[in-house]
Amino acid sequence: MSALLTTSVGSFPKPEYLLRARTKASKGELSEEGLRALEEKSTAEWIQFQEQIGIDIPVDGEQYRGDMATYFAENIDGTEISGLVRSYGNRYYKKPIIVDELRRKGPISVDWFRFAQARTRKPVKGMITGPYTMMDWSFDEFYGSRETACLAFAKLLHQEARDLESAGAKIVQVDEPALSTRFDELPLLVKAVGVVTKGLRAKTILHTCYGNYNEIFAYFNKLPVDQIDLEMSNSGLDLLERFRREPLRKEIAFGVVDVHSHVIEPESLIRERIEKALTIFDPDKLYIDPDCGLKTRSVEEAQAKLRNMVAATRAVRESHHLTVGKG
Amino acid sequence: MVGTTVVGSYPRIGERPEEQSLRRAIARLDKGEIDAAQLRTVEREVVKAVLREQNEAGIDAVTDGQISWYDSQSHIARKLTSIEIGGLVRYFDTNTYYRQPIVRGAVAWKEPILGDEWKFAQANSKAPVKAILTGPLTLASLADDKHYRSKKALALDLATALGEEVSSLVRGGAAQIQLDEPILTRHPEDLAIAIEGLERIRSRKGSARLAFFTYFGDVTPIYEDLLESPADTIGLDLVQGAATWDAIAKYGSEKPLVLGLIDARNTKKEVPGEVAKKVLELRDLVDLKTTDLSPSNGLEFLPRERAREKLGILSAAARQVGVAA
Repeated sequence: MSALLTTSVGSFPKPEYLLRARTKASKGELSEEGLRALEEKSTAEWIQFQEQIGIDIPVDGEQYRGDMATYFAENIDGTEISGLVRSYGNRYYKKPIIVDELRRKGPISVDWFRFAQARTRKPVKGMITGPYTMMDWSFDEFYGSRETACLAFAKLLHQEARDLESAGAKIVQVDEPALSTRFDELPLLVKAVGVVTKGLRAKTILHTCYGNYNEIFAYFNKLPVDQIDLEMSNSGLDLLERFRREPLRKEIAFGVVDVHSHVIEPESLIRERIEKALTIFDPDKLYIDPDCGLKTRSVEEAQAKLRNMVAATRAVRESHHLTVGKG
Repeated sequence: MVGTTVVGSYPRIGERPEEQSLRRAIARLDKGEIDAAQLRTVEREVVKAVLREQNEAGIDAVTDGQISWYDSQSHIARKLTSIEIGGLVRYFDTNTYYRQPIVRGAVAWKEPILGDEWKFAQANSKAPVKAILTGPLTLASLADDKHYRSKKALALDLATALGEEVSSLVRGGAAQIQLDEPILTRHPEDLAIAIEGLERIRSRKGSARLAFFTYFGDVTPIYEDLLESPADTIGLDLVQGAATWDAIAKYGSEKPLVLGLIDARNTKKEVPGEVAKKVLELRDLVDLKTTDLSPSNGLEFLPRERAREKLGILSAAARQVGVAA
């Protein structure tokens, strides 16, 4: 039996050399190939780091992405990229604009999956920005209907999921951070994610974060995926009691470190969190990861958080006489 | 024939390098390279540019774009007594976040909140500048209330505090005050609290005109009650709240309306003639001479260039109403 497998949500911080290169590339001072070479270098470094510390299910670290929605949109016909809009404080991002019928130009993330998988024997997650989030984070000048736009994304993202599977992905994660935006649209989200995951043999995961989970709780068991990946430490583990009363009939990836804090959680604190999770979830259905992507932390902070997370998990496994197994 | 106005916020930065000054200045402030006074200078240059863009588009009643506001909640709340500012929370169904006010004790007004900003803006605008306040019900609903444990009690104390602020703004020369209560599109059942708050604020406004705005949805169930509320003007989001249109078409309005028909959350450009045609459907139901046309909510959800274009569309649509009427 595999127990308490460790993983990550998706993004890791970009090293200084890659940040400088991206700025240069945006000014036309560095070629596409030049940038790609550095993205490959840092991706390889992150895979190596995950190998070193013993993460069970590595990710490619999304070193090649700016924004998760914009990256996918750039590879989809029928979209343009907007000017900057504000998220909060001094943070701005560019949004996709749907200007025509959506069509996939070709595989979007498959090359990077292959690149990462070639560097480790462990199963690398394939990662897709979900159809609901793609729709909610885009301006729509074409469809005029949130449902139609969302299902159009879903259809082409299903092809992407199929291609990831053909390339060898054993696990496909659908990221839906916008899941909790409009509760009245949860049925649409369930429908759209179902279109993406339909017929896949790979294990499917839905990741979401920073929402009012109490409002969406009733939908967790309806999500058409094998596993849900939730931010738990930032929300103070409030949800655990609810899970005790209303059991989850899926696997859960349980966020044990806060990705928005500079504080490196000590191993002891992470152990406590895992122990609490173990009072509710079976160890073979419980995966351990950070709350969300670590890209907003420094490389050093992200690595320290991951090291403590793996060490804490190992300690809990030992104290419960659990083995990793084949995963 | 119809007037034009905006709802409040405006994009702070644009694509052109000279439109990125505020973003650069905040980054430099964070690194300790400039101080708060220097940031203020940059902020005010951006306010001037934002006013210029509205003036050039021919908007009749403008705002300072809420450029110095971190968000719609904490900017007001942080200057009141007994409120701390907490973590980030999603703002309605937008992909933006506000810092949540945490109410620790009895809330009261202690110092002017918007006076300096309003005076600076008015001194730099040809058109009258509206002073925008987040309404007490919305502030109370989005706050983390650790003291009152009653939305109504908190909202009414906030209303008293905001009444003080309105009085201070009016003494400083503001002739148009706008109160935003977007929460009513989510909780129409709280209208009675909003109206009780509005009455407290109205008593402090002197001869200024008081506009009452809702957005991010429709207000169909409370439309008739809104018309009876003690505000001089009612502002409505008719894009995300398109359903309210049927209520206007059914009941009309004797009170001046602001028709939020320009989509402030989507880049798709409206055709001015089509917007004008829509407004003219109301010619027998409202007095078009006292009606204003506006975006559906603040323009900050759009890229700067598209926000500018939307101002142009707004102005053109209003002109076409005039020609056709």
